[in-house]
Amino acid sequence: MRIIEKCIIPFSWLCALILLSAVGCLMGYLFIKGLSSLNLALIFGNVKPLDALLFRRQVFDGLFPAIIGTLILVLLSVSIAIPIGVSAGIYMAEYATGRIKKIFSLFFDILAGIPSIVVGLFGFSVAVFLHHYVSKRIYPCLLISALSLAFLVLPYLIRATQVALETLPNNIRKTAPALGATRFQNIFYVLIPQSLASIISGTILSIGRCAEDTAVIMLTGVVAMAGVPQSLFGHYEALPFYIYYISSQYTDSNELMKGYGAAIILLMICVGLFSVAFFIKRRVRQYVLYQP
Amino acid sequence: MFVSLIASILYAGDLDTFKNGEGTVKISGGTAHIPVMKEAAKRIMQLNPDIQISIAGGGSGAGIKQVGEGLVDIGNSGRKATDEEIHKYGLKMFNWAIDGVGVVVNPKNSVKVISKEGLKDIFSGKVKSWKSLGGPDKNINVYTRDEASGTREVFWGKALDKGKITAKANVVVSNGAMKSAIANDPYGIGYVSAGHIDMSVSPVALDGVLPSLENVKNDKYKVARGLYSNTKGEPSGLTKKFIEYLFSAEGQQIASQKGFIPVK
Amino acid sequence: MRFEHILEKIFLSAAIISVFVTVFIFGFMFFLGFPLIEGGHFFRLLTQSWMPDRGIYGIYPMIIGTLSIASLALFFSFPLSIGCAALICNADGGKLSWMLKKAVQLMTGVPTVVYGFVGIFLLVPIIRELFNGGAGMCILSASLLLAILISPTMILFFAESFAQVPKSYLYAVDALGGSKAQKLLYVIIPSSWHGILTGLVLSLGRAMGDTLIALMIAGNAVAIPHSVLDSARSLTSHIALVIAADFDSLEFRTLFACGIVLYVFTTLIVIVIRRVGVFSGHSVS
Repeated sequence: MRIIEKCIIPFSWLCALILLSAVGCLMGYLFIKGLSSLNLALIFGNVKPLDALLFRRQVFDGLFPAIIGTLILVLLSVSIAIPIGVSAGIYMAEYATGRIKKIFSLFFDILAGIPSIVVGLFGFSVAVFLHHYVSKRIYPCLLISALSLAFLVLPYLIRATQVALETLPNNIRKTAPALGATRFQNIFYVLIPQSLASIISGTILSIGRCAEDTAVIMLTGVVAMAGVPQSLFGHYEALPFYIYYISSQYTDSNELMKGYGAAIILLMICVGLFSVAFFIKRRVRQYVLYQP
Repeated sequence: MFVSLIASILYAGDLDTFKNGEGTVKISGGTAHIPVMKEAAKRIMQLNPDIQISIAGGGSGAGIKQVGEGLVDIGNSGRKATDEEIHKYGLKMFNWAIDGVGVVVNPKNSVKVISKEGLKDIFSGKVKSWKSLGGPDKNINVYTRDEASGTREVFWGKALDKGKITAKANVVVSNGAMKSAIANDPYGIGYVSAGHIDMSVSPVALDGVLPSLENVKNDKYKVARGLYSNTKGEPSGLTKKFIEYLFSAEGQQIASQKGFIPVK
Repeated sequence: MRFEHILEKIFLSAAIISVFVTVFIFGFMFFLGFPLIEGGHFFRLLTQSWMPDRGIYGIYPMIIGTLSIASLALFFSFPLSIGCAALICNADGGKLSWMLKKAVQLMTGVPTVVYGFVGIFLLVPIIRELFNGGAGMCILSASLLLAILISPTMILFFAESFAQVPKSYLYAVDALGGSKAQKLLYVIIPSSWHGILTGLVLSLGRAMGDTLIALMIAGNAVAIPHSVLDSARSLTSHIALVIAADFDSLEFRTLFACGIVLYVFTTLIVIVIRRVGVFSGHSVS
């Protein structure tokens, strides 16, 4: 027994060391190999940045189409997911009770647990189904991908909103009704603004999730080359898919370097988003806990 | 870069049909075709930004299926569509280049020649070590393609004589993926489109014949196949123009630039 | 107030849409995979190997693949996470614990595809040289990367459970003159076993559902793996690989079988968590 006691502290240090060095090695390798490729040419290829940004000319050798594709995709899916997710979260926190709440909660947990590729498979099958039975013009495309991604992040938004509202201290919750406000007025003018930071943090997390996901978009319309997306019903490129594609199919060291650069960019975006989300959440926690 | 600049000036006429008009062309299927498709699309889109050409991979099986279902406009395949497929989907096939399928190993591997029997033994898993071929005493890592692959069909049919491919083989999803897998594995063996073979992998002579372009051209290397672009019914509009472009002087020049044998 | 009523109905419909989506996903897959179940094929599918040239489309090797990769990843990740969480907790919220926690939080943001990308070029050659046989693309490499992927979330979860142990317990140990190690071993870990179990099961779900790492690193062979150095295919990467097959064929419909199996696995996991977990409204994201 004494031995275990003696060992546990060094053991925990060892664990931390192992984990940190493993991740450090992986990320370090990425940066060492890829830092040299981070320049404007990586993103814009042979085209002048201003021309590309104003969509005057197409970029073929750069990440620009993939970055724009990811941007539009994330924007679309989050704007679909936010109204539904936040509303459902409000419902769960404020209106639902008893059995309904338990049942809904179960379903949302299940939705949260579904692997992303199953959501992608679902999106793909819906697209083909619609293609057969509704309109020949529907096929896996940007819109279908955005919808599938929205389904993927919906549970995160619902949970974030629900938790944010539920952990508000009782005195805040009861003040407005005590002054004669209706339920809605209470929610809209008091509760939501108080929990806004948490909801925003959940939103940012969802943005990060949408930006990094590869499995869903692989099955629902992302392709190796498509230029800047020109329509909701068309194919598009995306950053995570580009990384996956390059990793297995690079034709020369140039392309491999681009892959490293893309990986670094995606890493920075996602880690950045997550950090912002955590930062906001922490600020809220302090604020809520230390309310006078 | 310079060569393509000169070439594009010389062959400028072929791109003229794309100058006006707009629309999209969706292409998917064989991964061997992708370099040619990408180059052609790049030239067309640079000329006329209102045209959008999207290119996906997926393998020959995917290309045929998707064009048949109407999900894409052009489905590329590295094998001829079967009669059943042609009949079911009403496919029109366009063969614009010839390609071979060659066995490749890592450049560090000293094994350069293999007999057909030896190949069959390796891929079926009977022979497990490089030692018996005169190589180092290490296990042979077999790489194969996914089932939708036309390259795989041709290899299995013509090089392996429909022999067994071991279930333990690592599966990669495209010609490019096969190339990088072999380039990274000193003890690997796989098969890839002859047009894709470059410095990063080293071709193996099958029964004494290297899978080079000349050998495919003069029929010495038997494991050859055509590169097809298929459409559902007769192509029209932008799709038709694209297919015609593939057969034009400029298109054929792109094909030979990328390592294939143009049909014209 | 009629306005209030309408608003409540709007919120309710949003919730119902979300529930509907969950059910719809399962229903659609069930419906599309129905021909399999009809012919009594389904159970045969679960036990046969994948041999398309003989017309046999069993997903058994893939089930074994998923289970082996996920459980091996958990095996590596669990002690690692307990150790790190213990360190965070033991440093009593001081500078060190704050730094470690920040580092782990940063790690949760790393995308799977980046891990896979670096894994191919860094980890696979190392494994290949280290262990004489194999291409380096095997269950072991995939599990190692997966373990690194799921550890940060597990660590945060464990750390939160440890932090929720009632302070009175900790004071009691102090009063009895117990050391930090004893406090950890005999009080903190045992009283947070609910949280530990929940975190474990949650990460199992995440490990089973991950696609990219298995697709890029595990080799994707169709044989039933017999050792951790064998190449294997998981249910998730199988879906990604076969998606290009003919839509009406039996082969394609097996994808829905894979989807159903994954869906059922993760649903079971959720149910287990809800039975065991004590943390309602607790989220560590």
